[in-house]
Amino acid sequence: MTATVRRVLLPLAGIALALAAWWLASELDDRTPGPVAVLGVVGRGLVEPDGLLLDTRLSVLRVLIGVALGATAAVPVGFALAWFPVVRAMFNPLVSFFRALPPLALIPLVIVYLGIGETARISVLTYAAFFSAVIVIYESVAAVDDLYVRAGLALGATQLELFRRVVVPLTVPQLFVAVRVALGVCWATVVAAELVAAQRGLGAMMQDAQNFFRQDEVYAGIILIGLSALVMDKLVQLAMARTVRWQERVAR
Amino acid sequence: MSDQVGAPTSERIRFDDVHLGFGRGRQRLEVLDGVGFTVGAGEFVSVLGPSGCGKSTLLNLAAGFLRPDAGAVAVDGEEVRGLDARRGVVFQQYAIFPWLTVEKNIAFGLTLRANRRPTAEVREVVARYVRLMGLEGFEKALPKTLSGGMRQRVALARAYATDPDVMLLDEPFAALDAQTREYMQELLHDTSRQDRRAAMLITHSVEEAIFLSRRIVVLTNRPTRVHEVVDVDVAWPRTPQSRHTPEFVELRQHLEEVMRSMTLRPGREPREKEHR
Repeated sequence: MTATVRRVLLPLAGIALALAAWWLASELDDRTPGPVAVLGVVGRGLVEPDGLLLDTRLSVLRVLIGVALGATAAVPVGFALAWFPVVRAMFNPLVSFFRALPPLALIPLVIVYLGIGETARISVLTYAAFFSAVIVIYESVAAVDDLYVRAGLALGATQLELFRRVVVPLTVPQLFVAVRVALGVCWATVVAAELVAAQRGLGAMMQDAQNFFRQDEVYAGIILIGLSALVMDKLVQLAMARTVRWQERVAR
Repeated sequence: MSDQVGAPTSERIRFDDVHLGFGRGRQRLEVLDGVGFTVGAGEFVSVLGPSGCGKSTLLNLAAGFLRPDAGAVAVDGEEVRGLDARRGVVFQQYAIFPWLTVEKNIAFGLTLRANRRPTAEVREVVARYVRLMGLEGFEKALPKTLSGGMRQRVALARAYATDPDVMLLDEPFAALDAQTREYMQELLHDTSRQDRRAAMLITHSVEEAIFLSRRIVVLTNRPTRVHEVVDVDVAWPRTPQSRHTPEFVELRQHLEEVMRSMTLRPGREPREKEHR
């Protein structure tokens, strides 16, 4: 009963409250389209084959490819940074520098070298995913509890066995966290990248809509970006819960 | 009555005038100041001392996590130079692997290259220790579903499974409640008695030391030396009733007095340097 209230009713109440506030704002201010109008645009756009559905699909696909490439590359690099002191000493400053650099700052350079095509956008996204994931992976390996390392060693594990059979299983939950962080960064990056240079995609669509004063479409874009990012994050969380059943959860 | 010869025929673990300190210069902290004792074949020896005296440091030396500054630590006449599966270790904290089931935890050591066994044998060993440690029905359980006492039984089983030459136990029951602790002491006593493996138990519990041991090495405060080595003249094997015998009670009074007299001087807790 209370669980149902907490898990279903209260979140729904929160959403209802936000929609009500939005509706109120749209009544008071004629620059703001109401929720009904915007949801109508979203609904119509998603059934049109060449409409919002295409833009959403393009943006989602770009994010997916960027995260897949970037996070995959980040796994060996993150482990190497954490495991080998020499690698860490040599590359940690560089990794810190590139991680601190906002991916969008690279766009002017990328345009020069790769133009404004899909390769350019995917490159920026891969870059964004890689550096945000690498640091999470690196820190998760560095944070592995020494107790398990000692237990493994005392049972006779070699360094390789220790790594493969103790360190890797312990860091799996953090790999999912790395993917989630990369997803977040990539969504931020893809929209901005599409605002700058793209014909289609949610960012480009919003840019167009703004140029023609179609506020309802800008709002629709925001809703679709938020929902897409949310769904992808939830899917990763779900995959993590299914994969990592052994983790002890702190009851709150 | 005794199911084992009284005097150990040969020694398995030997601490020879071991010195060890941590830190440098004015930060230097001498922990062990010439500690020497032995653990004989098949003998169960407890190391008892006030907290902060470096009991666990001794275990880390025997296991190979640490090296002495001076003196020597030898197991079976061979100087300990690093980690080795021939010495089984049970830790105070719950160190069983949380991502593995009970049976996979127990089998872990046997699947490593150092002590790999054929699958059929692994299964047999796991089944044996599941039975010995009373873990039937929990073979497929994950550690998060187990109580503290059960986790330590898995840890004991995992350490025994690789059939080490000596067992090193670092306050394995310190985190358990009193009732569970007594039960675990009895379980460990029965297992190690039948098993006749040399064992060194680190503990700050007088009761635990007496109940489990043939001999007790009592340590002083830091810088630590051996205060005395006590032979435990309580009938062997021990049973829950042993705790109430006059010999047990008398020895407990004596040791508790010794422990009380060693009030810890104010100082930094030793920070251990460890190497992999």
